[in-house]
Amino acid sequence: MFLTRSEYDRGVNTFSPEGRLFQVEYAIEAIKLGSTTVGVRTPEGVVLGVEKRVQSPLLESASIEKIMEIDTHLGCAMSGLTADARTMIDHARVTAQNHSFTYNEQIKVESATQAVCDLALRFGESVHEEEAMMSRPFGVALLIAGIDELGPQLFHTDPSGTFMRYEAKAIGSGSEAAQSELQDKWHKQMTLREAEILTLRVLKQVMEEKLDHHNVQLAQVTPGKGFEILDEVKLKELVDDM
Amino acid sequence: MNPMNTASHPQQRQFNPYTENGGTILAIAGLDFSVIAGDTRQSEGYNIQTRYAPKVFRLTDRAVLAVNGFAADGNMFVKKVKQRLEWYRHAHAKDMPLHAIARLIQTMLYARRFFPYYVYNILGGIEDDGSGAVYSFDPVGSYERETCRAAGAAQSLVQPFLDNQIYFKNQQPALGTSHPAHLPLPQVLRLVIDSFTGATERHIEVGDGLEMFVVLAKGHDLAGLEGIAGLQEMSTKSDGERIFVIRRELKKD
Amino acid sequence: MNTFVNRFSTNNALSVIRKAQAVVDDDEEFSDAAWGSEAGFGSLAKGVPSFSIPAVHDPTAFLRLHTDDHADPNCRIKIQHGTTTLAFRFQGGVIVAVDSRATAGSYIASGTVKKVIEINPYLLGTMAGGAADCQYWETYLGIQCRLHELRNKERISVAAASKYLSNLVYSYKGMGLSMGTMICGWDKTGPAVFYVDSDGTRLKGDLFSVGSGSTFAYGVLDQGYRWDLTDEEAQELGRRSIYAAGHRDAFSGNTCNLYHVKEDGWRFLGNYDITKMHYDGPGDVPGSAQVAYGYDVRVEGRTSSNPPAAAATA
Repeated sequence: MFLTRSEYDRGVNTFSPEGRLFQVEYAIEAIKLGSTTVGVRTPEGVVLGVEKRVQSPLLESASIEKIMEIDTHLGCAMSGLTADARTMIDHARVTAQNHSFTYNEQIKVESATQAVCDLALRFGESVHEEEAMMSRPFGVALLIAGIDELGPQLFHTDPSGTFMRYEAKAIGSGSEAAQSELQDKWHKQMTLREAEILTLRVLKQVMEEKLDHHNVQLAQVTPGKGFEILDEVKLKELVDDM
Repeated sequence: MNPMNTASHPQQRQFNPYTENGGTILAIAGLDFSVIAGDTRQSEGYNIQTRYAPKVFRLTDRAVLAVNGFAADGNMFVKKVKQRLEWYRHAHAKDMPLHAIARLIQTMLYARRFFPYYVYNILGGIEDDGSGAVYSFDPVGSYERETCRAAGAAQSLVQPFLDNQIYFKNQQPALGTSHPAHLPLPQVLRLVIDSFTGATERHIEVGDGLEMFVVLAKGHDLAGLEGIAGLQEMSTKSDGERIFVIRRELKKD
Repeated sequence: MNTFVNRFSTNNALSVIRKAQAVVDDDEEFSDAAWGSEAGFGSLAKGVPSFSIPAVHDPTAFLRLHTDDHADPNCRIKIQHGTTTLAFRFQGGVIVAVDSRATAGSYIASGTVKKVIEINPYLLGTMAGGAADCQYWETYLGIQCRLHELRNKERISVAAASKYLSNLVYSYKGMGLSMGTMICGWDKTGPAVFYVDSDGTRLKGDLFSVGSGSTFAYGVLDQGYRWDLTDEEAQELGRRSIYAAGHRDAFSGNTCNLYHVKEDGWRFLGNYDITKMHYDGPGDVPGSAQVAYGYDVRVEGRTSSNPPAAAATA
């Protein structure tokens, strides 16, 4: 097994005889090293939560950016090699703006997700005899939250370019424990506030440090206000209420 | 004549890919319906090429596009709009809303800013909120939502008539009354027919046939359409917006 | 001399664009990205729109031949022209006022044109010259401003936005774009107005008017302008200036659209009929003295058009 793997895990363009693309699988492994990220969908909106690993007391926790805005109605949380996510999110932003330029309407959540996954799939691809745009798959998974005419939605994307819609999803190092907790606690008629509390509880369970308003970040997408990252005051209030 | 002599006379040649094929189009938006119409004569100079060349096209169940100017450009443009609508349907799993089609047409026209389509477009249909809408375009894509618009050969004959009858320009309401904000469908149809019979009387490039597309908002009753002779339904579903065509003869001289 | 310079700059710009065009695609306005994996996401997937160009020696001359109605009033494709627009900066923000007439030759193609383009909640652009050029590029500017905002977590300054537009149209210099626009907004520096046109001019200033009726508007504007105008006075000045242009310039008229930009973004104040303003004034609106702008009321009975009864019978 080890032998076969080492022969077929170098190139991103070559399947192993068992039909596997090892580099893609390794990329998916890279996400499991990332910090835990949680997304919960409710009829009132979608909540995203991330753990910020503050590795040093000298690190400015405010500079860790793991939740980003794609457009007013779309947000995104990441886990894995977050540097890769910047490329993907910028692509999503440009796609969303191009869509609104060409069609004078906001892009659908699924379409934006599809666009990100199209990009994720372009590793090892070269166009018109040019150098390949990317040398390896992205090492990051995203939770894309948004609202469109189909209501609040939550999508998960991984380095293989696969995307799926979830009611609640956890990714990153604590994802296994977090996901089973979500499975127990999530229910159809959750309020947004319940979802915020659930997100924090799930993160608290899997985090090594004690959870406070410095080492987590919460964001939500609601029909009224669109995407917003919760400020420290609101976050502290939620942490205290938890 | 010495063929060598041609060099001594200055000659000018230019690339002229456009002709003008006459005809007129017109659209009127009601509260919850829209009427888009065009005559069917196609001419070049003083020659009538055909008495039936459609200028009004169904795009979706709630959008109709009328094109006027150079017929070849117009037909090609409609074809490309339909192609983009289909791509959109595959990519986003829904029909393109009317305001989105309007913007798409702008970007498609403007993509030819340096080699324009010689086409005046009028888009009519139903918006997502159920209101009737008309969008008019210039050949390079500037556009505006309006209540009514005429374009083409007889636009300067028809538009003042519409200004008077739809916008009530230069009309004073009778004491204690006010002008209606929206006209009912039967009256709009009468105005459209009158516009075209009038234009046919006074413009040589207008005539032969009239095609009127009626787009009704979801749940709208037929509002008197049932009795009309030669009515043809063009919609694919009966539970959404509905499209009908009414065909009329115009004078053929 | 000008023709000479133009020819040179034209050919330069064209050769660059032609080369780019040859690389981008064969003969279509759709890039590869418009279908396939990026299906339907638009013709802009590369971030820059691409344009079809006729395969002739001098595409600019081709375009001029068929579209420029100043050179040839009988040309086929009539691009809408003629306008009065103005914008000025004062103590209380920026006033933007425009007329609403579009002419194609001597035909009034529309009397209800929106010549103020709402780029985003904080930026306005005005439209003079080619309607499509202004509409298209200012909408395009809007999405670029939004991307700037997302990437930098900060709103774009009016200076930066106007420079973006100016650089953009400059890259098409000599190709026949026609636009004269004022980019107006409020940023960290306070109220700001920039004039940008398709020649590549970009000017920062307090007060501008653009279009065929601009001389008439300037007449009223320059006379009444002060920095410490109150909001109401400033709004009235904008309205009154557009009225003056609508009254004296045949290519301007119909109605006036008035906007006021303040610290928290722009606000649309209203649409005023120019004929109505002439006979009755703008009505009961802030800053208005509620008298007719036309001088008929001020000369009643003292001109030849409506002489006093005694003179008429004499």
